[in-house]
Amino acid sequence: MGSTTIKDVLISLTALLIFPGGLFLLLVSLAYEWVDRKLLARMQNRVGPRWFQPMADTIKLLAKEEIVPDAVDASLFIGLPIVALAGVLTAAIYMPFPGLPPIGSFPGDLIVTVFLLSLVTICLGLAGANTLDRFSLVGATRTLTQLFAYEAPFLLALLGPAFVARSWEISEIISYTDGRWLLITQPFGFIVAVIGLIGKLEIPPLDAPEAETEIVAGALTEYSGRGLALFRLAKGVALVLGLTLIAAFYLGGVATPLLFLVKTLALLLVIVGIHALFTRLRIDQTVGLWWKYGTLLVLVQWLGIIIWQGVMI
Amino acid sequence: MKFGTMLGDLTISLFSKPSTERYPFERSETPERLRGLLIWHPEKCIGCGLCAKDCPAGALDVIVLDKESKKYQLRYYPDRCIFCGQCVYSCRQGCLEMSNEKWELAALDRSAFEIIYGECLENE
Amino acid sequence: MSEVGKRESFTIPIGPQHPALKEPEHFLISVDGEIVTDAVVRLGYAHRGIEKAVESRTWVQSLYMLERICGICSHIHAMAYCLGVEQLAGVEVPPRAQAIRVLVAELERIHSHLLWFGVSAHEAGFDTLFMYTWRDREKVMDLLEGFSGNRVNYSVNVLGGVKFDIDDAQAIAIREAVSFLEERTHHYLDVVTKDTMFLQRTRGIGVMTRSQAEVLGTVGPTARASNVYREIRVEAPYAAYDKYPVKIILDNRGDLEARFVVRLTELFESYRIILEILETLPDGDLTTRIPRRIKAGETVSRVEAPRGELFYFIKSNGSDTPERIRARTPTICNMMSVMKLLVGHQLADVPMILAGIDPCFSCNDRMVALNRGRNKEQLLTWEALRQYGIDYYKRRSD
Repeated sequence: MGSTTIKDVLISLTALLIFPGGLFLLLVSLAYEWVDRKLLARMQNRVGPRWFQPMADTIKLLAKEEIVPDAVDASLFIGLPIVALAGVLTAAIYMPFPGLPPIGSFPGDLIVTVFLLSLVTICLGLAGANTLDRFSLVGATRTLTQLFAYEAPFLLALLGPAFVARSWEISEIISYTDGRWLLITQPFGFIVAVIGLIGKLEIPPLDAPEAETEIVAGALTEYSGRGLALFRLAKGVALVLGLTLIAAFYLGGVATPLLFLVKTLALLLVIVGIHALFTRLRIDQTVGLWWKYGTLLVLVQWLGIIIWQGVMI
Repeated sequence: MKFGTMLGDLTISLFSKPSTERYPFERSETPERLRGLLIWHPEKCIGCGLCAKDCPAGALDVIVLDKESKKYQLRYYPDRCIFCGQCVYSCRQGCLEMSNEKWELAALDRSAFEIIYGECLENE
Repeated sequence: MSEVGKRESFTIPIGPQHPALKEPEHFLISVDGEIVTDAVVRLGYAHRGIEKAVESRTWVQSLYMLERICGICSHIHAMAYCLGVEQLAGVEVPPRAQAIRVLVAELERIHSHLLWFGVSAHEAGFDTLFMYTWRDREKVMDLLEGFSGNRVNYSVNVLGGVKFDIDDAQAIAIREAVSFLEERTHHYLDVVTKDTMFLQRTRGIGVMTRSQAEVLGTVGPTARASNVYREIRVEAPYAAYDKYPVKIILDNRGDLEARFVVRLTELFESYRIILEILETLPDGDLTTRIPRRIKAGETVSRVEAPRGELFYFIKSNGSDTPERIRARTPTICNMMSVMKLLVGHQLADVPMILAGIDPCFSCNDRMVALNRGRNKEQLLTWEALRQYGIDYYKRRSD
């Protein structure tokens, strides 16, 4: 038993820290950030950054001095970015990333994953509320407001595929969705999930929490150096994982790394297109959008699914 | 009610070259009238000093070396120059002009910012 | 405790260093949640004392000093100054020079309006529009560079005329660029009036009624968007505007959308005037001789800058330097309207409303004496100010 345990531990550690989680995931997230920025630049008729730019940014930030402002809880200030990154990296364990079966799995891991992804937003909100900076405070308020707005519809949108697959376990859902394009049968759920991801990652047009022309960098205004780098990494990882989740659920699964690449990048193109096309929404408009349309759409979707299943039975 | 009115622009740009000019690697031609570094042609200079008098930035000094043989020296400080072209306009003899080629004037050494025209006439 | 401070309010400082403002200016916005309850502006961070500085420069040198009051509308400052000085000297400027001045002024208006358009799109979080307008603005910058040799601070004016002439190649380049820009402007007008997401941020935001606009003394496109008939090019044509009449653009809605529409529609007017000038450019000299010493006297020169009325007071004592020059720039007239309009809007609308007047803070920093009734007005003469400085540093060194 002893040798197998050590082997198991080694395998688990590798999976957590190097491949497919950990280091590999971080690199992939930096690559996706580059694709995001490059696509946006090309859509705006600009040149855009070179491939190593996100990595250079991160290394630079990591190497820089981290200034801990007065009148903050220092342990929280330093700890929150770590928790955020750790949370999203943990979420990767239950994901079919990158086109491989999930490493870990247990019934109900979908809920855990979604909440691990939300941990980034909660950490952001806490980080903003932790400082006395007025931009941070407004940013934190907006971050948390937005969290309450999109979280329920986003979760409902992800539960749609779970409902038809009759399981709350990601590995079972993806084996059901493999080859089935739920995008066609559940279009509203797909739309809400994509826009929910945009809201979660505070990508324009839903970037009111960090609208630079109003509140500088929102909750992250006081962050510099390492903390900022970790938060950025966490957001990058959350983007990749969000894309994976939506592609696996709605776009016919990501059974192989190639399919993963194609489908997530296509999804990224859509998100960048939305980013480029629309004006930033005010926070009241964002909340209105979610509660007026987002939730309603998902509920209509659910009603449809329930009726359909009733008919089938 | 219209969503995404700029979709056309985005699609065109996505499949065309960026409009940014990659400056140090590719350069577009400078216009003929570009106001770059000041050039002095000493032959016609009568040493009236109008250029220095009108210069709003104090970037010009005219020094009379020898009035008999009409030897003048023009000291020009490109770091003070605001490239307005008033000196060129003021000069009635037409001995000043602004180069449209020399316009990348950054330098690490202060000596680049003190150009003395007509200094070494004897030596040359 | 003062009346204002009775209720503890959450204030958000915008500026002097803030990503929304590229220039140093301080706005203190009091908010209740997201709603603005009070707004205070503090100007003066970019005060350079240009008006004082020109008093120690010759008339010719002052021209270039004044041209640098504003980096965006530099030509119009120089033009206002030249028109005033020429009037003082009693010099008649050749019609060709006047037409070229107007041509450059209109090119500058195009560049200024497009710049503003991009900046306001950026304030609204619509960076794509920002990138595209600035890309297109590059065309007009190239025109100005090709014509005058400089992208900003064109220095086209000299006292008594202009330095540069339009040749055929220039005219062709201008016609080409103008037709391109005209097409693009139609497109942009379409975007600002039809794009639902953009309209959410502009329609009905920052509404200023006509009477408000008149009371607050707004000028330029900001006033015209509230249906105030105020346009110097129409009311008091200067330079060659009597030969090339301008149609005034008015809008009665007074919100941000109206300000977008008015400015973009004005661009069409500029294109039309530019093409008309190219067609009917009068022949003749570019300059006329002007004495180095200007006759004693004082005059007022008013021009329509891209942002509104620009006002110059020029006084000469007969020497080769100006006795006193006073510039009143349009932004300072419009600034009070912003403070008024912000109240009751959301924090997210603050940058948009602020950008709506097309603020130019470096123009802005002239001296203003405010009389609020409670504190005494304090004016220092040059001597007194000098003495104050000496005393201040003496005190510090003690």
